Amino acid sequence: MPKSMQNSHARISRRAVLRGAGVAVALPWLESLPAFGDPTAPAVFPKRFAVMFMGNGINEKYWSAEGSGADMKLSKTLSPLEPLKHKINVIDGLFNKAATGHGIHPPQTGSLLSGADIQKGAIIRSGISVDQMIANAVGQDTPQSSIVLACEQPMSGYHETNYSMAYSSHISWQTPDSPVPVEVYPSLAWDNLFENRGSQINVSILDRVKDRAETLSRKVSSEDKAKLDEYLTSVREVEKRVESTRKVKNQSDELAKQKNRAAFTMERPQNGLPEDLRDHVRLMCDIIAIAFQTDRTRVASLIISRDLSAMYYPFLQVSEGHHAASHNNLSEGYERISRFHVSQLAYLATKLDSMPEGEGTVLDNSCLMFLSELWIGRLHDNTRLPLVMAGGLGGTLETGRTLNYLKAGDDNRRMCSLYLSIMDRMGIKLDRFGDATTRLERL
Amino acid sequence: MNTVAPGSCFFSPRRLRLWPGILAICAVAPLKAATPPSIEQQFAQTVQPFVKQYCFACHSGAKPAAGFDLKSYTDVAKVVEDHPRWALMREKLMAREMPPKQMPQPPAEAREQVVNWIQAMRTQEARKNAGDPGPVLARRLSNAEYDYTIRDLTGVDIRPAREFPVDPANTAGFDNSGESLTMSPALLKKYLQAAHDVADHMVLTPDGIDFSPNPMLVDTDRDKYATHRIVSFYQRQPTDYADYFHAAWRFKYRAALGKPSATLASTAADAKVSAKYLPMIWQLLEEAPLVAKTEVGPIAKLQAMWRALPTANRLNARQQDTLEDNVRAKCVEMRDFVVKIRAHTAMQFSAPLVNGIPPASQPLLNWKLREYATHRRHSDPNDLRNDTDPPEVMPVIPKYPGLHTESAPRWAALSAKARFGDPDLVVPAAQRKRYEASFERFASIFPDKFYVSERGRYFPDDSEDKGRLLSAGYHSVLGFFRDDQPLMELILDEKGQKELNRLWEEFEFISQYTARTFIQYFLNQSGEVFGKGAESASPRPEGHEITDTPVIMGLLNAYLAKALADPTKDTTPPEVKDRFFTADPNVKNDPIAPEAIREHFNGIDATLRTFEKMHAEAEPKHLDALLKFAARAYRRPLSKAERDDILAYYHTLRDKNDLTHEEAIRNSIASILMSPDFCYRIDLDSRPSLSETKPVAFHTTSATAGRPLSGYALASRLSYFLWSSMPDQELLAHAAAGDLQRPDVLLAQTRRMLKDPKVIGLATEFTGNWLDFRRFENYNAVDRERFPSFTGELREAMFQEPIRYVADMIHNDRSILDLIYGNYTFVNPVLAKHYGMPEVKGDADTWVRVDDAARYQRGGLLPMSVFLTANSPGLRTSPVKRGYWVVHRVLGQVIPPPPPVVPELPADESKSDLPIRDMLARHRANPVCASCHARFDTFGLAFEGYGPVGEARAKDLAGRPVDAKASFPGGGEGTGLEGVRAYIRDNRQNQFLDSFERKLLVYALNRSLLLSDELVIDRMQAKLAANHDRFSSLVETIVTSPQFLNQRNAEAIQKPAPQTAALQKNVNQRKVN
Repeated sequence: MPKSMQNSHARISRRAVLRGAGVAVALPWLESLPAFGDPTAPAVFPKRFAVMFMGNGINEKYWSAEGSGADMKLSKTLSPLEPLKHKINVIDGLFNKAATGHGIHPPQTGSLLSGADIQKGAIIRSGISVDQMIANAVGQDTPQSSIVLACEQPMSGYHETNYSMAYSSHISWQTPDSPVPVEVYPSLAWDNLFENRGSQINVSILDRVKDRAETLSRKVSSEDKAKLDEYLTSVREVEKRVESTRKVKNQSDELAKQKNRAAFTMERPQNGLPEDLRDHVRLMCDIIAIAFQTDRTRVASLIISRDLSAMYYPFLQVSEGHHAASHNNLSEGYERISRFHVSQLAYLATKLDSMPEGEGTVLDNSCLMFLSELWIGRLHDNTRLPLVMAGGLGGTLETGRTLNYLKAGDDNRRMCSLYLSIMDRMGIKLDRFGDATTRLERL
Repeated sequence: MNTVAPGSCFFSPRRLRLWPGILAICAVAPLKAATPPSIEQQFAQTVQPFVKQYCFACHSGAKPAAGFDLKSYTDVAKVVEDHPRWALMREKLMAREMPPKQMPQPPAEAREQVVNWIQAMRTQEARKNAGDPGPVLARRLSNAEYDYTIRDLTGVDIRPAREFPVDPANTAGFDNSGESLTMSPALLKKYLQAAHDVADHMVLTPDGIDFSPNPMLVDTDRDKYATHRIVSFYQRQPTDYADYFHAAWRFKYRAALGKPSATLASTAADAKVSAKYLPMIWQLLEEAPLVAKTEVGPIAKLQAMWRALPTANRLNARQQDTLEDNVRAKCVEMRDFVVKIRAHTAMQFSAPLVNGIPPASQPLLNWKLREYATHRRHSDPNDLRNDTDPPEVMPVIPKYPGLHTESAPRWAALSAKARFGDPDLVVPAAQRKRYEASFERFASIFPDKFYVSERGRYFPDDSEDKGRLLSAGYHSVLGFFRDDQPLMELILDEKGQKELNRLWEEFEFISQYTARTFIQYFLNQSGEVFGKGAESASPRPEGHEITDTPVIMGLLNAYLAKALADPTKDTTPPEVKDRFFTADPNVKNDPIAPEAIREHFNGIDATLRTFEKMHAEAEPKHLDALLKFAARAYRRPLSKAERDDILAYYHTLRDKNDLTHEEAIRNSIASILMSPDFCYRIDLDSRPSLSETKPVAFHTTSATAGRPLSGYALASRLSYFLWSSMPDQELLAHAAAGDLQRPDVLLAQTRRMLKDPKVIGLATEFTGNWLDFRRFENYNAVDRERFPSFTGELREAMFQEPIRYVADMIHNDRSILDLIYGNYTFVNPVLAKHYGMPEVKGDADTWVRVDDAARYQRGGLLPMSVFLTANSPGLRTSPVKRGYWVVHRVLGQVIPPPPPVVPELPADESKSDLPIRDMLARHRANPVCASCHARFDTFGLAFEGYGPVGEARAKDLAGRPVDAKASFPGGGEGTGLEGVRAYIRDNRQNQFLDSFERKLLVYALNRSLLLSDELVIDRMQAKLAANHDRFSSLVETIVTSPQFLNQRNAEAIQKPAPQTAALQKNVNQRKVN
């Protein structure tokens, strides 16, 4: 059980500072604030949430867990999690009712993280996904409100069920009408996090208009000059703040180095797409890890293989594509594919567990949720979903358990109840989410 | 109208003001031969003694009443400095409010002398600075101006300013003046977001830059944008055969129908059908009888139906209508016949088969689609039956084909079933060839479809998979296919063809769908050719992009190999391990398959290379377009330095920030929208250039204190006045030509602009701020449980009513007195219901004029429910608020704020013991309250016949009968709306006109009024009176005034008197019970 973190009164919340300064602007970083993670002043560490997705279900013969804590017994597919089993929860029997009874594939994936009723035909409409709900609430405190990654390109077009393939290609939805576009290129995901090109460009825009306003100022009457000065002052103010967000990146890196933390460092990935899927996934996991560690974001989602995936796993000695193999999901080959995906969860969780934070690790302050939209691919059965979570979410989540809701009744085994419970722990209290108005029992 | 001889009536109307003050004085003093006394002399001789005798008692000493110490005005200069308060004093004297009733009253003559003196003093001062343009500060665009400007700049009503904080107003109540518009870091950050928001809507076309109604960052957005444009184009085309038959009939009987000289072309234009296609139809139907006699089959039948159409003889109008309906019905029958025949004889195709490859494979499927697309004007002879044939057998309809398999057999069966028993398809065996020819000719004129706008997986069976616009019908993967040859060949003229080609070209350019389709195909389907099954990928190519030519050719060759292989020597396993498709070694490779495959992959390669080139060639065009955009955004031409600077920034973004071309253009646009040249209005550089005509200043009586605005600055001023938006090309052209200040050009442009629909900006912003309902769209103080009719739709309709009323007044140049006395109004369906008027059919945008609005107690601005609602605190009416609104907003009277301690009135009328009017009686009983409330309460009481949401009522919410009697200030009684109107007509009309003139002038000049503006007001008044009070006379006076045409020199000649601060504060921040 992770130790609880102590509150520090010396720590100031950024929002309080902004309010006090009389500024109505929500800004991610201000240089006056100490970067968190300074071990001399323990504080409440931010909680992180990540979703990892595998398409088209698992091999149900090899997916099970029983017992708890050190006595937990993991099946073959879950065996990569053995060293971490005291920090995981294996949850069985939850489902998303909105995703049943409307046809296969896109309608089974489109509302996985939102529980919404999705729309057929030319109009794309789902609901805000749980990770984006969290990002909306906690995202202003970090440079990126969330990162949405995938190792497989989306498909456009329409499925034979007349649902858009967008539902199969995305799991994170920022508004009901638009999925968050997935970033498939590791180098670009990196740039979004660290280069923050958006703010760089804003600085250059502000520079230009500042110059222009100064030039104009010299040409106008003194009354007009006063009005333009108002403009100039505003430009300079905003520019200063946008600049400072970029300065802090260097600062926090420097701070980390000075404290001699085993800071996980990473080079910018090369441009282009890695040819080997193993490299691709690893890079994406590394990016999530470093993003969490440096608090550049607290919300991430990663599609390792999407619904209707066409990925290949020659290194697993499987000759069929992912989707084709899922129709033969009781095969050993598909078990290997499933286990490969679970080992990515193990990889990321291990990495986060190697980053000290306060008296625990980054993993202890996180919740990584691994799931698929189906249980049994060959039957397109999604009346229960494979789900395993890693991390204690800052002590709010008991770990090392196997939880089974198969016999709890449909009203008590909703995925959306789980989402409500997770959001509670992230400080977001909603009355309802998707099709759930109650939290998940026993969580 | 009030006509007054000089010096007679004490309510001297404004009309006197044109006359020199001298005359007024002469009217009082006997005619003197010597020079008339100066203003200063009169002050000493007449005014000072007067105030000493009648005013000092209260208005002097340590605590003068109302803070107005008359003793302190020891000379005229001091009076001039405080001229607004002396103007107020004049009003009170004229209204006999001062001296108060209980104090000694001056004789009428003496009172009049002082009144006139004040006026003369004002006029003298006004003259001193006549034509002073006044201090018009540089200012940012107001939020409304920002939105309208973006609408006109991009062509899309994006409304980025909807998230901006509400603009503060100046003392006159308008939010378009530098006096109140400021900038702050918080607002600037919003400007930055808005600039990016607008830039996100940009789309790059082959020739330049365009803007879409939706953000264009994501592929699906681009697809949607481009496909909708094409489908809208299709749907606009005249493709109904019935319309052509009907038009042909009209042409045939053109003489009888009163158009003897009509041609086919003119008939086509009138009927809104294709002038290219109508002659073809005409020729077919009206073939010479000899030729026609030899026709057979569907043509013969159609011609017979044609000849059977009723003839048009001399008929009266009613018979004509019936005839037209009759003819229309018969034309529809003809059309249905044509459609049926073509549906039954359309050619059908299936994909060429290749052993080992699924038939729905893209290279093969596309062949099928191309065949369909190029054979729509052909008939399938196999659909005809000989009369000697054995009886038909009803076909068995196979199930829907599985994924990746051929849908043609099912479609063939469905078609056969549809044809079953159609006698029109049975032909005499002996004349088979003749009939086939007839059917073929028929088909060449009547295609089975003019275009295909959506396609599912089982195409041409369209019973499934709806809504996939322009889709190629692939399973899962994106793909588009163009199928509109008959539309191009038969209906569209050259212009239409160009436009449609252009739309498809832009579709490809914007969305790059061929490349995306190929990539998706590569990653999800191309493995099929290597025996991996229907939903499998090829490995990512090393050292190449997927869309490179060698990769495309590699696949071409792989498919070719399969298509050319000898099936007997094939090494593909008997069943490809694929749950979707089973290879069959008995399938013989279709000999056309190699051609299909080559066409497919070569076509893709050609398209990709062509568009790569087009993208490269378009880049300089985009930069050109960017510069043009900047010039339009800045509302003037760019200097060379500015052009260089914009391009340099683009290149910095590309080179230093590593952005793509499109990203760099987007951010350049954002940068342009952040520039003060766009979001500020600064009247720069007004020194007339050599090309500009020497400006003519109108009606100045002394040296102007300014210099003419540049043509561009004037163009902006005009457009922001009349449209609240940027100038258009025509205005800018005049600015460039330097003739905009010429009176004839100026007035012509003004008149043009008043007729332009964009005048809705003026109607909305001026009226909304003048009458204080600009924010009504967010108004939420109505209890919707008690008033469930107050929905968002009703609120919006209420908001629109006065705007449409004023827009109508402007557009038709009506009298501004209609605002008060008009007996008409405008309603849409929900508002009509609210008012109890006859039902209006249509949607929220259907507005009709109601001419007998008086029947429903409506007409003009006063009883409009928006005002009655906004001035009611939710559950009861507020006569005080409503009255105040009439007197202060409409009539323009200044009223001081209430004292700090005022008792509350009950919130809920239904729970109050007394009717509102009785509770307000306290206002009249207490003299402290009455001094102000007497001026306006009663106006509101007259509207008691309208409830809290402006609904006409006979009982109040507690069930008491409504009493709408009112006793007006200065005597006079009346009831309800008519009572108020009559009172205004007899007593306050001039005040209304004067107030309206002033408000409009403030709005136009973007500043508060100075004393020197009085002369413009005089002229506006005169012009108004001389032109039946038409609105345009006010506008024309304003735009030709020196105040409008000029700007101040940095060194102003004389500083005009500042407005009294106390007065300014009162005007707009008022909370009334």
